[in-house]
Amino acid sequence: MANMRKRGLLVPITLTACIIFITLPFGSATEFSFRDGGKTKHSLAAYRWILAQEDFLHYLGVSFRLALGAVLITLVIMVPTVAWLHLKAQRFRPLMEFLTLLPLVVPVVALAIGAQSALPEALQSSEYELSFMYVVLAMPYTYRALDIGMSAIPLKTITEAARGLGASWIKAITFVIAPVIRNAVVGSLFLTLALSLGEFTLTSLLHWDTFPTWVTSVSQQNIIGAIALSVFSLAAAFFLLFAIGLVTMRSKSDATEGQK
Amino acid sequence: MTSTTHNDVVTKGVPSRGTLGRHNLSVAIPLLPVMIFLGFFFFFPMAMVFIDSFKSNEGHWSLINMTTILNNPYRMAFINSIKLGVVSAVTASIPGAFIAYVIERKGSQSLRRLVTSLSGVLANTGGVPLAFMFVAAFGAEGSAVMILKKLGWNIYAGHFTLFSFTGIVVVYLYFQIPLMIIVFSPAIHGIRKEWRDACENLGATPIQFWRFVGLPLLLPSFAASFLLLFASAFAAYATARAMTVGNIALVPLQIGNLVDGNVQVNQANAGKALAVGMVIISAIAMIPYLVIQKRARRWQT
Amino acid sequence: MSSATLEIQGISRRFGEVVALDELNIKIKPGELVALLGPSGCGKTTALRIVAGLESTDSGHVLLRGKDMTEVSANHRNMGMVFQAYSLFPNLNAEENVAFGLQMRKVPKLNRLTKARELLEVVGLNTQAKRFPHQLSGGQQQRVALARALAIEPDVLLLDEPLSALDAQVRANLREEIRRLQLSLGTTTLFVTHDQEEAMSISDRVGVMNNGRLEQIASPDELYNKPATAFVASFVGLMNRLPGVLNSQIVEVLGQRISVAENDLANGAVKVLIRPERVSVIQKTGENNAKVITRSFLGASSRIICEMRDGTVIQSLVASAGTGSLNPGDEVKLVIDEHDVLVANV
Repeated sequence: MANMRKRGLLVPITLTACIIFITLPFGSATEFSFRDGGKTKHSLAAYRWILAQEDFLHYLGVSFRLALGAVLITLVIMVPTVAWLHLKAQRFRPLMEFLTLLPLVVPVVALAIGAQSALPEALQSSEYELSFMYVVLAMPYTYRALDIGMSAIPLKTITEAARGLGASWIKAITFVIAPVIRNAVVGSLFLTLALSLGEFTLTSLLHWDTFPTWVTSVSQQNIIGAIALSVFSLAAAFFLLFAIGLVTMRSKSDATEGQK
Repeated sequence: MTSTTHNDVVTKGVPSRGTLGRHNLSVAIPLLPVMIFLGFFFFFPMAMVFIDSFKSNEGHWSLINMTTILNNPYRMAFINSIKLGVVSAVTASIPGAFIAYVIERKGSQSLRRLVTSLSGVLANTGGVPLAFMFVAAFGAEGSAVMILKKLGWNIYAGHFTLFSFTGIVVVYLYFQIPLMIIVFSPAIHGIRKEWRDACENLGATPIQFWRFVGLPLLLPSFAASFLLLFASAFAAYATARAMTVGNIALVPLQIGNLVDGNVQVNQANAGKALAVGMVIISAIAMIPYLVIQKRARRWQT
Repeated sequence: MSSATLEIQGISRRFGEVVALDELNIKIKPGELVALLGPSGCGKTTALRIVAGLESTDSGHVLLRGKDMTEVSANHRNMGMVFQAYSLFPNLNAEENVAFGLQMRKVPKLNRLTKARELLEVVGLNTQAKRFPHQLSGGQQQRVALARALAIEPDVLLLDEPLSALDAQVRANLREEIRRLQLSLGTTTLFVTHDQEEAMSISDRVGVMNNGRLEQIASPDELYNKPATAFVASFVGLMNRLPGVLNSQIVEVLGQRISVAENDLANGAVKVLIRPERVSVIQKTGENNAKVITRSFLGASSRIICEMRDGTVIQSLVASAGTGSLNPGDEVKLVIDEHDVLVANV
């Protein structure tokens, strides 16, 4: 009986500690971002200032362009490859898993130096080199997301069934494969998007300017503005990942309901 | 259609070495795009870094970079970075493991999902926004500082400053603890009810369960998570850069300086040697991490 | 170790609104193997876990050798339990798993490992003693689990659907082994399953449960031939359900008038329950009353499925000899054996 009472308190206490831990910095930053000259006056001045900056939209645009580039590259080379691995090349899965995990082992700073010294001049003159590097950075996560997602379904079997029923490869992909791997693909693309939008280290070491690096430079002139930007980016990231979490959770429960 | 199936049936029964061998290679062809991609954008740059680290700035083979990095100021940086990695891993792994335990075992399904999403977001929160947030909260004019002052505690009364080793460790907690929760929860989740029931049935007390079954199973995963946290703190760049004003020597920052050309130009290849050093230390942590996780997954499903 | 009497007295349990068990009473004799059989959710697993002490009971008692065990904690009951799957400790190898119960009883290492190896030999796995659970097949894992439960020389052996997660062939072999072991050791055993063939083939008695209640507990024979309720009748073995008309103790079905046992059903339309082996198929008569749909050759017997004039489908199980010429579409006459015919509400 005494055990049960203790158990009951453990969760709320831990939760409260966590909530304080999370909200203190975030709440403080939010409060800070509303300051308007001094510690007592508050207004939306900082946010209005941000929106007034033409660089705001410009750099947001840059980041989005690069992120979408990374997403496209992932879609084109990762998705078909993992699908192929599951359909026809199962024995190569351990090898691919190993290869795609290697970027995890290398610190981003080291990769930055490598990219700077090794990649050809032509590539380095375009900011899109970042899209390619983002794909490398995200590869351990995107591969795993795709691999796990495709392992959860009998992909090989249903494809063979479709082909046996007379479907051409294009029809099989459109009507059988694509719908069934959609969640895994969307998840991995969002991962790439999130990672690309927030990437700072590689970007700044390769001397490009995207949204995160711009926020840093803003801090030199207007610290409150920079903090407002940080609050904004964090809130946006929160929202995005939360929404993805909800969407994937709902579709997962839909899927299992059918099986019951 | 029928004739092709018939052919399949006929040929299936007679596998010869030749057909199997050919099968192997042609099946791997579609995998080439990814391998070439990784090769060009990952392996090639890293190989160049490795090779260049053994070359002097004039281009001759030389160990000068290696000796440079083993002396100060780089030597100090390595020591600091490793120290940071260890301290951060220790300070984050224990609370993280504890929270993971409480949430997994005593939390409801929806609470667990909430914590997972939240941890996912926070673990990837790093770099500049995080540093700024902490400045906003705990900087000299910070809101949290003011609240604490009102409660009677002036943290700036002494020598406290956010831009110190301790400050960095505290800030790192913010993404390290969620990272620990994410990485360690599956291990706790994998402790099956059947094992507890079986233990109880065979005469064990809860403590004996943890001693003979629970902890032995969790320990490898805890060690793996610890290694991951170490590598994560060791390699972090953005947050460190935003939080230090050049007062603390850390390897990522020094590489950054060399790339920026802030230091002497003839130190260019030293940066690559530093990078090689980082990769080695990171690998020492990450490879066991990956191996342990792979093994642990066997009983976790 | 002497065999023990296990008694479940008036056990009731509810989970919120759901009544899992309702006044369950079972007395198991020393050395007896009793199966609890029923569909999912009937309460059989809950009952077993209450006996093991892994669940608490709202009311009632569990008695072992006459002693009240209800308040005794699970780790002091000395009952060996085998779970459905995944119960072996992954960090210990086979012999360490088997020796675990003895380790908890502070048996010295050498002794307990020797005993463990003996038991592994009994279940045929002495060559796998050093293997870890993930290196063993499902059937092998369950054998180790069985050896582990028996190592502590339990007063009672409890089995919670131990074969449900295994392949058909492994299942058949393992259940015979369980029975063999149980008989040679004389251990009182309670076996929970939803597979009636499993329960019927190895038990001394079978208790059929439904919705938390025990419908009938009897020998397999009696359960099959003299089912106490319609549920038991349809759950155990195959049963035909034909429309009939009841008039006091005579029921009219398939053109025959058959006398049935005393019952409290109202006269009029009833369901008549007849076993397939009580339905004979006669060819070449002028009084055909059904048409053959399919014939399945099962070896010594054949199953013949026919359709009555009114659309009701009947299964008949007859000796194969003499039915070889039956084809789908043939007209036949079905005759019911008057013994063991049951009636139930529509």
